[in-house]
Amino acid sequence: MLVSVLNGFAIGFLLFVLAVGLSLVFGMMDVLNLAHGALFLGGAYVGAALAGSWDGFLAALGIAAAAGLAAGVVLSLLTEPLRRRSHLDQALLTLGIALVAGELLLIVFGDDPLSVAAPPGLDGSVVVLGVPYPTYRLALIAVGALLALVVYAVVERTTVGALVRATVADRDMVAAIGVDNRLVKVAVFAVGSLLATTAGVLGGPIYGARPGLDATVLILALVVVVIGGLGSVRGALAGSLLIGQVESVGRALLPNLASFALFGALALVLVVRPRGLFGARA
Amino acid sequence: MTAVDSAATVDGTAPVPARRLRRFGPLIAAAALLVLAAVPLFLAPFATTTLSRILVFALFAVSLDLLVGITGLPSLGHAAYFGVGAYAAGLVSIHVTAQVPGPLLVGAGAGALAAGLTGWITVRSHGVFFLMLTLAIGETIEQLANTWESVTGGANGLTGIRSARFAGTPLVVAGYTYWYVLAVFALGFAIIWLVARSPFGAALRGIRDNEPRMRAVGYPTALYKYAAFVLAGGVAGMAGAALVAQQRLVTPADLGFLTAAFALLAVVIGGAGTLWGAGIGAALVIVVRDALGPSMGGHGTLLLGLVFVLVVYLLPRGAAGLRLPLGLPRVRSAVFKAPRGGPR
Amino acid sequence: MITDQTLTRRRLLRLFGAAATLPVVSACGSSVGGGSGAGGGGGGGGTVKVGLVIPQSGVYAALGTDMQRAWDLWLEQHGSKLGDRTVQTVVADEGETPQTGVPAVQKVLQSAQVDVVVGIVNSATALGVRDVLAEAKKLLVVSNAGAADVTGKSRTPYIWRTSFVNGQISAAMGTHLAQSGFREGVYAIAPDYAAGTEVIAAFTKAFEAGGGKVVGQAKPPFGKTSDYQPFLTGIRASGAKATFCFFSGSEAIAFVRQYAQFGLAGTIPLYGSGFLTEGSVLPQQGDAALNVQTTLHYSDQLDNPNNRKFVEAFRAKYGAAPSCFSVQTYDAGNVLDRALRTAKSLDGDALAAALGGIGTIDDSPRGLWSFDGQSPRQNLYLRKVERRGDTLVNAIVKDLGPQQSQPA
Repeated sequence: MLVSVLNGFAIGFLLFVLAVGLSLVFGMMDVLNLAHGALFLGGAYVGAALAGSWDGFLAALGIAAAAGLAAGVVLSLLTEPLRRRSHLDQALLTLGIALVAGELLLIVFGDDPLSVAAPPGLDGSVVVLGVPYPTYRLALIAVGALLALVVYAVVERTTVGALVRATVADRDMVAAIGVDNRLVKVAVFAVGSLLATTAGVLGGPIYGARPGLDATVLILALVVVVIGGLGSVRGALAGSLLIGQVESVGRALLPNLASFALFGALALVLVVRPRGLFGARA
Repeated sequence: MTAVDSAATVDGTAPVPARRLRRFGPLIAAAALLVLAAVPLFLAPFATTTLSRILVFALFAVSLDLLVGITGLPSLGHAAYFGVGAYAAGLVSIHVTAQVPGPLLVGAGAGALAAGLTGWITVRSHGVFFLMLTLAIGETIEQLANTWESVTGGANGLTGIRSARFAGTPLVVAGYTYWYVLAVFALGFAIIWLVARSPFGAALRGIRDNEPRMRAVGYPTALYKYAAFVLAGGVAGMAGAALVAQQRLVTPADLGFLTAAFALLAVVIGGAGTLWGAGIGAALVIVVRDALGPSMGGHGTLLLGLVFVLVVYLLPRGAAGLRLPLGLPRVRSAVFKAPRGGPR
Repeated sequence: MITDQTLTRRRLLRLFGAAATLPVVSACGSSVGGGSGAGGGGGGGGTVKVGLVIPQSGVYAALGTDMQRAWDLWLEQHGSKLGDRTVQTVVADEGETPQTGVPAVQKVLQSAQVDVVVGIVNSATALGVRDVLAEAKKLLVVSNAGAADVTGKSRTPYIWRTSFVNGQISAAMGTHLAQSGFREGVYAIAPDYAAGTEVIAAFTKAFEAGGGKVVGQAKPPFGKTSDYQPFLTGIRASGAKATFCFFSGSEAIAFVRQYAQFGLAGTIPLYGSGFLTEGSVLPQQGDAALNVQTTLHYSDQLDNPNNRKFVEAFRAKYGAAPSCFSVQTYDAGNVLDRALRTAKSLDGDALAAALGGIGTIDDSPRGLWSFDGQSPRQNLYLRKVERRGDTLVNAIVKDLGPQQSQPA
């Protein structure tokens, strides 16, 4: 049972890295980036292609990060002209992009599911609480926690972060005081996408890479973002750790009901408190 | 102005071109129906079967258009009611009777019931929140279809469904099945069209354009939205019954996310708010997926995605809004009211 | 301006109508003429038209490739003839679900007018085309779909199968484990969908008939589970002495790898239905799959003259080893060849009667087999994953003897 809790943290931190970008972009621009799952899958495929050695793994991380940054900038530029139209149009645009990206990945990497090897040294298991537990997942908890700390520090403690928080809270006011919030938006989109593709590489040894994975993780990320609250790093962390536990402990206790519990929680929060637990705007 | 809002001028009345077109409307509709009805006499069975499939999906897309284009509720989970209607019609066909209109009525009723049960929470949200909520509900119902094996047949789906029977004769020949599907399509389309033309429809458009104003004027907007949701669910259930008559098989994929996404694609590409646009969009989706897809190595979705992106960008009113020059500069005019999601 | 828009909309309608006539012209005919639209036979005289309906896209595409390769190999080795008729093959993409599979079968029957249909990976599609085939009176030789209902509850004389029945494979493992010292406790796990349920049910019945006890069971949600940790914890907690599982594709890769990562591989031996380690999943599983034992009706390591020839020819032509999916389709060619020598005509009834009279097939790479209720009665083999050189293979441990097609 305790192993399930530990596992919940591993999944939870991975979800945080994936979802924080989605949350910030949604909170800042009200743009629901439905292509976020495709970014994760892209990172996973890069991992599948390169991983196997430490060089390969780190190279995969680097390439995925660069690709994610570029993709984020492109997505931001694509949704910018639709800014004056409804947010729904922007969401629909990202849906179209997600479909195209999914098919392109299918063409490049084929239909077969691929596995991603953990880097050597981390592909064994350690005895934790009397039972063997994959070393890689422990490393993932450490890395995830570190990233969470870094993101939190940047958003809460730096000037750039203050700008981000301010834009989430009231973008018109930020524009009124003379800051060009377009640059802030592009930056947040880019970094958020970078985190998503990185999560894909990090999650590779657990989730692998296969067609259809983008839709699965997108829905998980949406659940996290909605429950945790839009535009809030704290919310994304709380939401992802909570969902991580539901996925682990919940599935251990009630495997069939776990999926329903997930969507049920999503529906409940959307109805009762649409802005989520730690939602930025009241 | 958005891809989801239909054409509307500053003073809120229908634009002049639409009024002009209305004179030709019934003529065009009658001609189209005649052509469609004559099809089985000239087409080989497989083409007729494909056209049947298009009509089923078109009715489903039109019912979604009532929600998306006319009421302004973008749903990514509408396939759930399509599927519930299909499963219900299938179960009735197997266990009770396959005689028309039995499965059809059951399918419509089941779709409406499912929409009624889930609608009361969905209509409390709007915009992208509504999108996510309907997505969650759709996924839940698909999960249910997969696990409730004793009733739905699980992942294998419901098979061995008897063909629809009209006055005792089973409709097995491709042409006869097609006529049944066409009749269901015409009926469903007529229902939605009449509702859209009625004062109720006008109220729905008002809710789409500015809900707080409608509320201020005294309309019970939540009730109206709920009614539209249930009606759309019922017509989707009708489309599901037609699916069962045509395909003789229902699987969880029929109520999955991809089906719902393709329907939304069809509505947007065709032009949200104009019901016939949804039909054209549906035809495009099916043709690309079934006819062009295999020749593109099964990557028809790529083409659809690209078309979708282009349409959202360049043709906010979908194919129905095709005009020269392109309407984009018009969209940013200060004369038009602020888009939804702006200052409330 | 106003006139422009009115014309544009009508122009659009006209354009659509014009565009629609192009495929219409090529699809001319009549859909209300007599019969259900299957029309006359496609191959006149000494030819036979075969519709090969296999997945060319989607998650089962790799299986489709194996199947197509085997079919092409058979034709190449037999002068493109079945019986003494020349073969014309029409390939259609089954896709991933019956949504694309059923239209594909309809297309080959109605549009291409084939005489026989071969293929079908997805059981739901096989069940879904039952009525289409019965009405068209054409034969389908299923060369993969394993649901018991296909030749059981939903049996029709027009569907025959050269592959396997889900329960047939797991029942063999159940009997074997009961005799191998695992009677005190085995844990059974398979995804929560029709095939998984069938497999577990057949396994449990055979295992308990042999005196065994299933101490725990789990059904992870099908297609949605990537992290098996909660279930692996359950397996350990149950005190089972061995695990029996049924997974395929990406789930097989994930489960086998995680089974090793969580340290269960050394303490609770893993057994499975053959698909766990068959085909392209084995290289992806890597060393995590070593020593996993499975039952299946084929392995490319089988040591009989027919298989040695088959594997050699397959490798020579395609540079890869064949899988059970290849053999199933190769044998479809074999049985059709035999049937067409004695069949009076090409319609479904004649072919079905001919297939019924074939008797034992003695030159198949998988060993001796015969039709038993329209599905194969065949030998099952116990296989173990071993490393030979630098590839992993399913080595044969034991021949478990013939298994009837529908376990009692």
